Amino acid sequence: MYYKLLLWLLVAAFLPISARAQTSQNALQPTNSQDKQTISGYIKDAANGEGLIGVSVYVKETATGAVTNSYGFYGVTLLPGIYTIVISYVGYETQTRTVTLSGQNVRLDVELSQEGRNLQEVTVSAEREANVKNIEMSVNRIDTKTLQRIPALLGEVDVVRSIQLLPGVSTVGEGATGFNVRGGSIDQNLVLLDEAPVYNSSHLFGFFSVFNPDAVKDVKLIKGGIPSNYGGRIASILDVRLKEGNAKKPELNGGIGLIFSRLSYERPLFKGKGSFIVAGRRSYADVLAQPFLNNDLRGSKFYFYDLTAKANYRINDKNTVFLSGYFGRDVFGADFGFNWGSTTASVRWNHVFSNKLFLNTTAYYSNYDYSLDSDLKRKEPTDFFRTNSRIVDYSLKPDFSLFLGKNTITFGGQAILHDFQPGTATAASSGSVRTFGLESKYALENALYIGNDQQISARLQLQYGLRYSLFNYIGPGEAYAFTTDVPLGTRRFPITTVQYRSGNNIQTYGNWEPRFSAKYELTDNSSLKLSYNRLAQYIHLVSNTTASTPLDIWTPSTNNIKPQIADQLAGGYFRNFGRSGNEFEASVEVYYKWLQNQIDYIDGANLILNKFLEGDLLSGRGRAYGAEFYLKRNTGVVNGWISYTLAKTERQVDGINNGNWFPTRFDKRHTFTSVLLVDPANAKRWNFSATFTLASGTPATFPTNRFEYQGYVVPQNFGNTRNNYRIPPYHRLDLAATLQGRRRPSKRKEDNWVFSVYNVYARKNPFSVYFRQNEDNPRVTEAVRYSVFATLIPSVTYNFKF
Amino acid sequence: MKKLAKLPLSPFLLPALVLMLGGCETVIDANLDEGPAQLSVDGFITDQPGPQTIRLTQTTNYFNNGTPPAATSATVTLTDNAGNTFAFTDPDNDGFYVWQPSTQSGTLGQIGRTYQLSIRYQNDEYRATSTINRVPVVDSIIFREEKLNPLSSETGYQAEFYARDLPGQTDYYRIRYFRNGELQNRPGNIITLENASFQGSADTDGLVFIRPFRQSINPENFYDMGDSVTVEIQSLTPDAFSFFQSVSGQITNGGLFATPATNVPTNVVNTNRNGRPATGYFIASAVRRKTVRVGSETIRP
Repeated sequence: MYYKLLLWLLVAAFLPISARAQTSQNALQPTNSQDKQTISGYIKDAANGEGLIGVSVYVKETATGAVTNSYGFYGVTLLPGIYTIVISYVGYETQTRTVTLSGQNVRLDVELSQEGRNLQEVTVSAEREANVKNIEMSVNRIDTKTLQRIPALLGEVDVVRSIQLLPGVSTVGEGATGFNVRGGSIDQNLVLLDEAPVYNSSHLFGFFSVFNPDAVKDVKLIKGGIPSNYGGRIASILDVRLKEGNAKKPELNGGIGLIFSRLSYERPLFKGKGSFIVAGRRSYADVLAQPFLNNDLRGSKFYFYDLTAKANYRINDKNTVFLSGYFGRDVFGADFGFNWGSTTASVRWNHVFSNKLFLNTTAYYSNYDYSLDSDLKRKEPTDFFRTNSRIVDYSLKPDFSLFLGKNTITFGGQAILHDFQPGTATAASSGSVRTFGLESKYALENALYIGNDQQISARLQLQYGLRYSLFNYIGPGEAYAFTTDVPLGTRRFPITTVQYRSGNNIQTYGNWEPRFSAKYELTDNSSLKLSYNRLAQYIHLVSNTTASTPLDIWTPSTNNIKPQIADQLAGGYFRNFGRSGNEFEASVEVYYKWLQNQIDYIDGANLILNKFLEGDLLSGRGRAYGAEFYLKRNTGVVNGWISYTLAKTERQVDGINNGNWFPTRFDKRHTFTSVLLVDPANAKRWNFSATFTLASGTPATFPTNRFEYQGYVVPQNFGNTRNNYRIPPYHRLDLAATLQGRRRPSKRKEDNWVFSVYNVYARKNPFSVYFRQNEDNPRVTEAVRYSVFATLIPSVTYNFKF
Repeated sequence: MKKLAKLPLSPFLLPALVLMLGGCETVIDANLDEGPAQLSVDGFITDQPGPQTIRLTQTTNYFNNGTPPAATSATVTLTDNAGNTFAFTDPDNDGFYVWQPSTQSGTLGQIGRTYQLSIRYQNDEYRATSTINRVPVVDSIIFREEKLNPLSSETGYQAEFYARDLPGQTDYYRIRYFRNGELQNRPGNIITLENASFQGSADTDGLVFIRPFRQSINPENFYDMGDSVTVEIQSLTPDAFSFFQSVSGQITNGGLFATPATNVPTNVVNTNRNGRPATGYFIASAVRRKTVRVGSETIRP
């Protein structure tokens, strides 16, 4: 079956050639005056030529419109006539164009200029109401301007830490890798960097993310109502798009902070027909922290670096190609060495057919790997231990958009080849060397999808689609069958092994994934939205620790591991009000999720280099539900947002908690966040921000009893319950102030200083509570609160731009 | 450095790195529920000559810091698969049930034999089984003068012992060490091996124990000249190995990368399925030791 899919994808990828032939035939025919024509084109930023994503293109006469896609392209199809086209985008000045359609398609490329710096002076335009008018729900966008205003840790702006301030998004604790969306675990988020998946989005465990803010153009988080062109993960899509690079003039950006420095360079290529950006970061915490390290760790190194690059070239009006890449590593070492990192590369080709039809074809490569080395200092070949592991993806993804007036049809497919290398290890002891490796595992993940965005009436809009995903766990490899008659929650042992040859199918899973969203505008500034989606996930992160570690490995669905499936139903009410009708954006959303085949672990599971890992995994179901309240002020001296999330997320696994439902490790009943941005009217060079987070403590398993064995005091939970307690709540206030450097009209240089304080009142927020024997008196047991940052952290960063 | 020696072994040790970034531990009050008392078995018999002891206690609430209450008036017998029966008695009523050999060199444990423990306690009948597996000897223990840390001017004597895994099958061992006769018994001192390395490693069957294990026998600041150092290797069954791994995991389970707290396994089974379960473990083990002094004959350049 998957061969057919592959074939289809190949056809789709090369379709442009045949489609072009067709188009030219059409052009020869006389145009019927009743035929509709299309206005289409790219909307770009006037300052640097960047394509703008999500710009509203509104046709006044018909009260219909379109939104630009991820490449800044739009299309509206209309009957012949004279139309007023209003192009608007938050933070940019609205432009109005008059277009005459008389039997010819019209290409309309528009450049928008940014509004002045002082938001309070800007007249609010009617088209700010994207949250009400747009069919998207459960979607949050952070533009880079806002991102720059809320430095996370150590004065550095960070994409992942910023999205944790949005409703429905949480983290298991400070410094933990990844993020949890609506009760999903971290591996259930599809994190995309220019369409290539990033398997570990963290630097320094989780304190920073791999996205260099200097190179990021747009960040979009989709928590629900996920359209049919996305798939492969069941909780959310984090779609990060890189800047294309300034197509008008060279630009140098940089920043010097306490933990790392950044530098990026962008410039036009081929007389403005293309551009590129290269951005790099390197941390120097290892250098600075050296004097403060305790004795055991002195002399150790720990740092990270990353390089992000992108280039684009516009071949002609109809064809543009993009190249993007990311490379980054974290390195830790003392006696032992430990390093990990991701590499992604994507090539994309945008092709515009007949103005109505837009194609993007993406081919990408993504790699995540880590390695460990036991003896860095003594480079002897006689004694060492080394291990490494990786996951590599290759994928091809054609995606078509067909603009048909009231319908925008999206269709396409994706083929991914996954190559899992769960680990090899080499041990040398007194000169004897042994290598041991787990066999690579291979899988093909294919999908076909079609979706339609339909304007039923001026008030009612529907988006519906269907995705069929097909997963093949293939050889070469061994497949195991395990005993089934073991007590619940204990290790299952392999009974038979079957050897498969290269390309042979071991196990197939297929899923129909229906998607549906509806928007009904109650009034001009309020709407109701509803969505349902089913998502399937075929690859899983094997991690049994509170925070995911860089050593955690990804594993495919196999004959023993079933794909995870989620069904989500969500509804929301969106309303704008205040000055000009949209000074404030407000929304309330509720959701309920049903989850199948959630992975859990037997007690004492052995997850490292275990050939029979599947025998240590358990499978269960989950449910998550909640309500999210969001209020945002767009303008004024004090703007920003507050959000409150009431949520519950539970799991039921035979063999854990006596088979009863239990809260997941990242379950938080209440989460409140507020982001206040202050732009004083009389202090033009200064602006301020305050970020406050308050959240319920996460669940934990506490002992009831204890016993002694060989002098060790061992905790014991009599009922064998899971997550029977909660650790204390979490709250934190961060402040930041930005001072703009003086602008000299003759100079292009812009600069600013960012002063920030993290954890202003130095709360010792608990990451976990655990139990241990007292160091001095082993018979005395104590409860210990572990805080990652127990103090306030002031910092200063200098940013510049030439 | 001792801590670092274990670092490549598992993600549990990453917290040490994160602590550098400002982690902080505070002892707090916690109100815990209390479960009913269970029988707890601390059973570890060896192939060494002399008396053998099995300790029976009752579980207490977690913050009860006293000596655990003894489980007295139990009947404790051990049988092996060669038809021998050994009676363990508790004349002092302190929960320590002892088997006394008839002669001073009398030995209970034999490598290769399987032992079944039977306990009758308060109308319940418990059983546990273990086998004494083979064990290698400690070949040698040597010392090197090393800085306490790379920037320190102070030095100490870092110990390294040599032993070779017995070839031909997967073996499991536990290492203990003594400084001047005192057992080093902190939670971080539970050291277990699969063959010559840790579980989930290369196949190290028949190799000399890999270096991180050879150097796992050092206190925080190494040894001083003249110290006596004893290293002991105990053989374990696969399930006893899992038990020690679990104990180690549960009593050093802090930091960013803690695993969910779970009960450690037990091999003590109540013959009445609906009876109250027991905790603890019964292990039969072969033990080999070597003792040396830090001195010119054991110090290597």
